[in-house]
Amino acid sequence: MPAARTLAETLAAKQREISVAEFFERNRQILGFDNPLRALLTTVKEAVDNALDACEEAEVLPEIHVEISKEGADRLRVAVDDNGPGILKREIPNVFGRLLYGSRFHANRQSRGQQGIGISAAVLYAGLTTARPVLVMSKVAEEEAAHVVELLLDTQRNLPKVVREDLQLWDRPSGTRVELLLKAKYQRGRQSPFEYLRGTAIVNPHARFVLTEPDGTRITYERASEEVPKVPTEVPPHPYGLELGELSSRLKASRRATLSEMLQTDLAGVSARAAREVLEGAGLKARDVPGDVHGEALERLLQALHTVALVPPSADCLSPIGPVLIKRGLRNVLGDVRPDFYAPPVSRPPRVRGGFPFLVEVGLVYGGGLPVDQPIQLLRFANRVPLLFQQGACAITNAVQTMDWRRYGLDQRGGSGLPVGPCLLLVHVASTKIPFTSEAKEAVAEDPELDKELTLALQSAARHLRTHLSRRTRRDQAEEKFAIILKILPKLAEKTSHLVGKPIPDLTPVITKIMDVVNVETTIATEGARTVRAEVTNYTPRARVLEAFVEMPAEVFGAATFAPAPDGTDPALGRAWWTLEKLAPNGRERLEVAFPKGTEVDASDLTWYLAGVDEAHLLGAETLPGDWDIRLPRAVIEAAQEAGEPLPSPEEPEVDYDAAEASEHVEEDD
Amino acid sequence: MPQKRASTSKRTTDVEEGSVRADALAPTFDLARSIYEQLEHGEIPRMRLPLRTKQNIAFQMREGVWRLGRALGTRSARKLDGALMLLRTFYLVDFINEMARDRKTSTLRELYYISEGWEEAKFHSEDESNLLIEDLEVLCERLREDFRVHPEENGASVIGDLTIKERNRKGVVKKINCRDDVGDGGYALPFNVEKEKITFESTGAKFVIAIECGGMVDRLAENGFDEENDAILLHLKGQPARSTRRFLKRLNAELNLPVVVFTDGDPWSFRIFASVAFGAIKTAHISQYLATPSAEFLGVTASDIENYKLPSDTLSDQDVRALQAELSDPRFKTAEWRSEIELMLKNGKKAEQQSLAKYGLNYVTETYLPEKLGEMGVL
Repeated sequence: MPAARTLAETLAAKQREISVAEFFERNRQILGFDNPLRALLTTVKEAVDNALDACEEAEVLPEIHVEISKEGADRLRVAVDDNGPGILKREIPNVFGRLLYGSRFHANRQSRGQQGIGISAAVLYAGLTTARPVLVMSKVAEEEAAHVVELLLDTQRNLPKVVREDLQLWDRPSGTRVELLLKAKYQRGRQSPFEYLRGTAIVNPHARFVLTEPDGTRITYERASEEVPKVPTEVPPHPYGLELGELSSRLKASRRATLSEMLQTDLAGVSARAAREVLEGAGLKARDVPGDVHGEALERLLQALHTVALVPPSADCLSPIGPVLIKRGLRNVLGDVRPDFYAPPVSRPPRVRGGFPFLVEVGLVYGGGLPVDQPIQLLRFANRVPLLFQQGACAITNAVQTMDWRRYGLDQRGGSGLPVGPCLLLVHVASTKIPFTSEAKEAVAEDPELDKELTLALQSAARHLRTHLSRRTRRDQAEEKFAIILKILPKLAEKTSHLVGKPIPDLTPVITKIMDVVNVETTIATEGARTVRAEVTNYTPRARVLEAFVEMPAEVFGAATFAPAPDGTDPALGRAWWTLEKLAPNGRERLEVAFPKGTEVDASDLTWYLAGVDEAHLLGAETLPGDWDIRLPRAVIEAAQEAGEPLPSPEEPEVDYDAAEASEHVEEDD
Repeated sequence: MPQKRASTSKRTTDVEEGSVRADALAPTFDLARSIYEQLEHGEIPRMRLPLRTKQNIAFQMREGVWRLGRALGTRSARKLDGALMLLRTFYLVDFINEMARDRKTSTLRELYYISEGWEEAKFHSEDESNLLIEDLEVLCERLREDFRVHPEENGASVIGDLTIKERNRKGVVKKINCRDDVGDGGYALPFNVEKEKITFESTGAKFVIAIECGGMVDRLAENGFDEENDAILLHLKGQPARSTRRFLKRLNAELNLPVVVFTDGDPWSFRIFASVAFGAIKTAHISQYLATPSAEFLGVTASDIENYKLPSDTLSDQDVRALQAELSDPRFKTAEWRSEIELMLKNGKKAEQQSLAKYGLNYVTETYLPEKLGEMGVL
């Protein structure tokens, strides 16, 4: 280095010297360390996110322990350990002791951590508030013992300063434990480690979490799925999302011999034909050397890449939670709330925003112990990470609030804002690049494409809710009718028969006139074998030929036994069916599906369908979906129906005496 | 329809005679037959009943009272409430027939408790059981006494120079003068005030003053108002019971005594007057036996509150709603009542009859009543 440094160089050096500490101090808020409550949450969140990402990469089922203990008046010790693959000893200092160091920033795939600020910021915060080093213990499967490293972050140089190194035996194949002492405060509430872990457990049903709170309370979220989620694959960046700098570095780093080859292999969505068009548009040659493109040529190339029609980015790099696991996750965590209804979760197909694929998923739960008179609970997730702050500034919240939920059966003042009702809404946005509003990754920024998908997904979930609520209303009305026909009518007949001294008449015609539905009542018995029973009763005034179908997950179909023997089965689709010949008015048929003890199946996993009666006259089962490719004995059904008596014409409207009376008679007594 | 009452009421009740009147209960079997036949024919059982609502009462010129109109409602087993009321009807019919067999009677309140054993058909409130008894009166064209159901003695009392003969529970006929033969509490009305029980012997009174509150009755009695003015004091006890109204009607019809009604000055008191003079909605099917069309409202009127500068209270929201409901009540659709109700709404004030004590204990008997009765031409 020359002896005489320029002023600019001196300044540059100075800037670097103060940069990290100053950066942190000035950005405490956006990094999530602006107060003791939030500092704790951010620390736990960063450590757990890292643990989950590490486990996922290694394809192991995560087991994550979070222990928070009190140390002195305003200090907490936070320890997070996982059963992940561990970190190589030489990498430990950089991972924990250096800001902006990470493996995922450049990877074009969906992951929890993205910027590499997270855990080292927590180390920095801990160092600044307690002057204590972080303790990292990590073991990789190849080594006998775990490495223990204590280190601080050197704020002057943004470099790790190792204080102590050691080896320690650890009775597990691999894993990482990180322990920090920081100025922080523990409190349960909306923005607490408790809430964060609850949310994380919902969207990561394959993980087991144990949280130990400072007072010793231990909360465990058991694993609800043994399936390791598919690791999102890394794909080359799509040109639509590329900016000049990245294109330049990609070109320089390319090992391809020609530009044409580079475009087709190092970037996504560029076919041979598209490559030709791009090169033509940019005035470049197929055989040009990638590393030689710069300056104006580079700009022309990017311009051409953005104009030429390309294959949209692949969504392989996304890892949706999927309908099955969303439901399982919600059920696992909300079990004690006993909701009445889990809407079939919505998982939208991937779309592209800029050059980045994204997709939206929505889960909806209704009823049970959820509070009736409060705004719905909205759980927001980005790449499987719960978003706990900035709810008001988030595109997800906005999409929920701008929808008119009154149309779907929830209360909502003026048709906008958070609806009110016993409802919990889970919204997950997965993308290789989530447009966050800030570095603290607490809210998703507005985007027209994203908003459209959010709205479609929410509407789809809301439609399920509306269907459920209208079914429930029908069910309630039916309950009233059942009370009439089962309890009141027989007694009325008995009383009047007795008074006139005649035998009790057959009540079937009256019962069927009052009900006028075919009812399917399902019950489950769990003693020994698990038996799901469906009783089909024809409460309509005519005899009917009905076809009953049961559908169940194909995995459990093999274990099922049926009584009576079904008239047909389709094991691949998990279906069995029966023809109920001429079910007379008030006639009943019992169908049973039994599973051996220990089969993982629930009454709600079985769906019952009935053909031979329209939806308005069917209760407790679905009508046959239109897309089922099944040959029905239609002729038989129709013939049976035509032979039946015509429906009685509806009676003329009458004043209900008991309803008219209700509002009167406040006046006199005697 | 209840007109037939004239024939049944002439009979003495079987309580005394110990005989069962088969025809009193015959209509209850007709009801059962009707429902049975509907069930037998596969029809959803139902009954049609005249609506006892304020929209369905009509003024009957001949009797000068408000009677039930022609609008019918349906009580059908298609609805849970209707089905329950139908079932209750026959539990009730059963019970009534049982009582007839065992020669028992029951109070309305006992009836309510009897339904404890009716399972689903159990009444949820005494209102429900009272309503059903009235429904049965309408359906069977009988009075509840025919069904051996009666209200509890409510002790509405009479003070004044009126001599009656009452056949008491031991069957002994006693002659009673309601001024000289009774204590300070006056003569207490039994629930049955029909001729078989009570007959009028003689009276020296020139009019009847029906009074809402017991305190005011006592004031008038203590001040000797009845003797000085040849009046019969009758305590209404708030909303008057059927027997009280029936007794008033008989005094008016048989002894040709004018009736004036003296109540608090508030919307609820207007309704007391309406049930005395016009007939109550709930009992519109028997108005001709209970209403005294010539009865006049003495006060306290809305203008009395102003003219006599009476201590008053502000009308509550409930009071205002009651007044507004009265404006749409056909019984109050006269110019006098309209202006009275509108004046009370405008002033926003109500007053109790005892507020007259502002001017001393004798003011009501020495000034207020003589002035008012003079205006009305009674004194």
